[in-house]
Amino acid sequence: MTTSIARIPSGPVALRPVWRSALRRWFLDRQLEGWLRDLTPTASLRETRARVVRIVDETHDTRTFVLAPNARWTGHRAGQHVTVAVEIDGVRVRRCYSLSSAPGAAHPTITVKRVPGGRVSGFLHDHIREGDVIGLEGVGGDFVAPVRVSRPLLFIAGGSGITPILSMLDDLAARGGLADAVVLDHVRSAEDVIGRSRLASLQACHPGLRVHVLRDDDPGGPGRFDPAHVAGLVPDAAARDVYLCGPAGLMDAVQAWWDGVQPSRPLHRETFRMEVPVPRPGAAVRVTLPDGAAVTLSGQGTLLEQLEQAGLSPRNGCRMGICRTCTCRKSRGVVEDIRTGAVSDGPDEDISLCVSVPRTDLELDLTPERP
Amino acid sequence: MNAVESRPLTADEIEAFGAEVDALRAEVLADLGQADVDHIRGMMRLQRRSEAAGRLLLAFGFGPLTFVGGAGALALAKILENMEIGHNVMHGQYDWTGDPELQGLRYEWDNVCTGDNWRHYHNVEHHTYTNILGKDRDIGYDLLRVTAEQPWRPGHLVQPLSALALAALFQWGVGMHDLRPLDPEARQEPLGSKWARWSPFLRKAGWQIGKDYVFYPVLAFWNAPRVLLGNLLANGTRNVWAFSVIFCGHFPDGVAFFEEETLERETRGGWYLRQLNGSVNFDGPRWMHILSGHLSHQIEHHLFPDIPAHRYPTMSMRMREICERYGQAYNTGSLPRQLWSVARNIVRLSLPGGRAGRPTWDSGAPQGAEPQAA
Repeated sequence: MTTSIARIPSGPVALRPVWRSALRRWFLDRQLEGWLRDLTPTASLRETRARVVRIVDETHDTRTFVLAPNARWTGHRAGQHVTVAVEIDGVRVRRCYSLSSAPGAAHPTITVKRVPGGRVSGFLHDHIREGDVIGLEGVGGDFVAPVRVSRPLLFIAGGSGITPILSMLDDLAARGGLADAVVLDHVRSAEDVIGRSRLASLQACHPGLRVHVLRDDDPGGPGRFDPAHVAGLVPDAAARDVYLCGPAGLMDAVQAWWDGVQPSRPLHRETFRMEVPVPRPGAAVRVTLPDGAAVTLSGQGTLLEQLEQAGLSPRNGCRMGICRTCTCRKSRGVVEDIRTGAVSDGPDEDISLCVSVPRTDLELDLTPERP
Repeated sequence: MNAVESRPLTADEIEAFGAEVDALRAEVLADLGQADVDHIRGMMRLQRRSEAAGRLLLAFGFGPLTFVGGAGALALAKILENMEIGHNVMHGQYDWTGDPELQGLRYEWDNVCTGDNWRHYHNVEHHTYTNILGKDRDIGYDLLRVTAEQPWRPGHLVQPLSALALAALFQWGVGMHDLRPLDPEARQEPLGSKWARWSPFLRKAGWQIGKDYVFYPVLAFWNAPRVLLGNLLANGTRNVWAFSVIFCGHFPDGVAFFEEETLERETRGGWYLRQLNGSVNFDGPRWMHILSGHLSHQIEHHLFPDIPAHRYPTMSMRMREICERYGQAYNTGSLPRQLWSVARNIVRLSLPGGRAGRPTWDSGAPQGAEPQAA
């Protein structure tokens, strides 16, 4: 009788994809998306987009963008980030920003600090106004609030690293998870505290929450992250679950301290903002593929040649940069176009292997999804 | 011939020529921006509206006027989609925008030819090995003798008729070209691998036929025959137009063909030189350039296949000037003249013999100081 179980029903089940295919080929691909966009810029069946409904100044260089996403938005977990896509002079550019709102908030928010010379943060600050539409391309990240709070909590933030932690605090507050939590917020000066009023009102409602703002310019203060100072403020730090997000220097210092006081448990840390690519022409680089496999490249020749030397066989055609057969998706890392010297350093950019040379370790998808 | 014959260049001249073309390319690449995206999106919007107007007029109109208007609007939409949008997007001309809708590798056009087949035989074979005898299968499409260097076969006797048939059914010729139905070697291929190669095309052809000759006619109830006929007319018009544009790009008089050995010595400068001497432009008003997908600037298209095509008219001014300085023919003329030249060649070359418009060329940098034009 096992055979009857193994039999796959045909008929209606097989019909459905055909109808979907027909819709896609005859309407959706060519027509519907375009008509929808003409109708209203957020309308789409394929892309998650959001209208910016409000812009709030947090500090002199940080703004919160309150978003009204279209129906494709599926929400996020507290602490996760979203890939924001904006079109700058015809080019779609993507950056990851932490969602600073709690899951389930009516309007998700991102809080963006202007990076000096930053292309996307500068664009968001200077050109995006209330009513404009931005793209949201995927929510991700393992830096999330605990599902069950089993230990007292310690949040260590630096600068805009407080933004995912604001989301976590709101989320935990809604779930009664702030019975014993400490926030150490490292900022440059009193003017640089992001989410000041939110932190204050959380503290007012939750006596178990303590927030310490540690200012670099505080005359009596410790300046940067200081283990001795932490020991004074949070004597039981080693017994807590630690959530860490901030600039690379702070993250390294906290990590070193934590490895000393509590080697048995890892701390939870956000990693995406640590990317500081260091160009290194001709040096060997590591390429990570979507399935997690990694190869080391010699650094000699084009990226295509190097991948082939490493035993891979990416699709390719003309090998001179005209046919685009070898175009693939680079999700992380820096490459340079050998014809123009143009540098691709953003996440999720398409590059042509045969005219690119790697400048840092890379994450590549050699077989991008094709219709 | 409107220009002097191209003069053979020395190795140094070829490099200098290449450097100038590279500089022009870099200049335009650096200038790409919002205007280019606005152009292609404008074309897509026009195509969408034209297609909707055409299909509505065919389905709900009555009388011959709306029929002609409907078929015309649908033909315009298909021409725009295939030429200015599909062909150019699939070249990766808009890959730099990062917009998924404009990604060359993902785009699938309104044509029975699959995007993957097209990207292989057109982008890889034709654009890399342009006009190299035995390597560029676009020389006569395995069917026609368009230059005296191709050996004559008895089949060529009827080629004036085969050319007309190919024009009327051009999308089918394009669709099967990468599958090599006329290649004797492919006939011995085992059935399994043949099926694997053919099935994507057959599947897509099925969808295309289903769309234009079943789905939309059925949707129009009593107007079904009218819609069917209108769609047939629109597809046919697009076929004849695309055929004319493409045949005028490489087969009029004055085009140079090349031997395979050229490749062994060819530098990037030599590649540019081959593209220039292997391609022909035609003149016309702006709308004609747009309808041709700017393949009216076949020379610029072959030099810069991945630069947004609406830039070619501006770039052509600079190219003419560069060509003049290097003594290179810049082959252009009116569309009727180029078409006439193609037709005459097809008729003449249906018989054995014939004189090539130009001798085969060597675009490879000559090894000695002596320039060569074999």
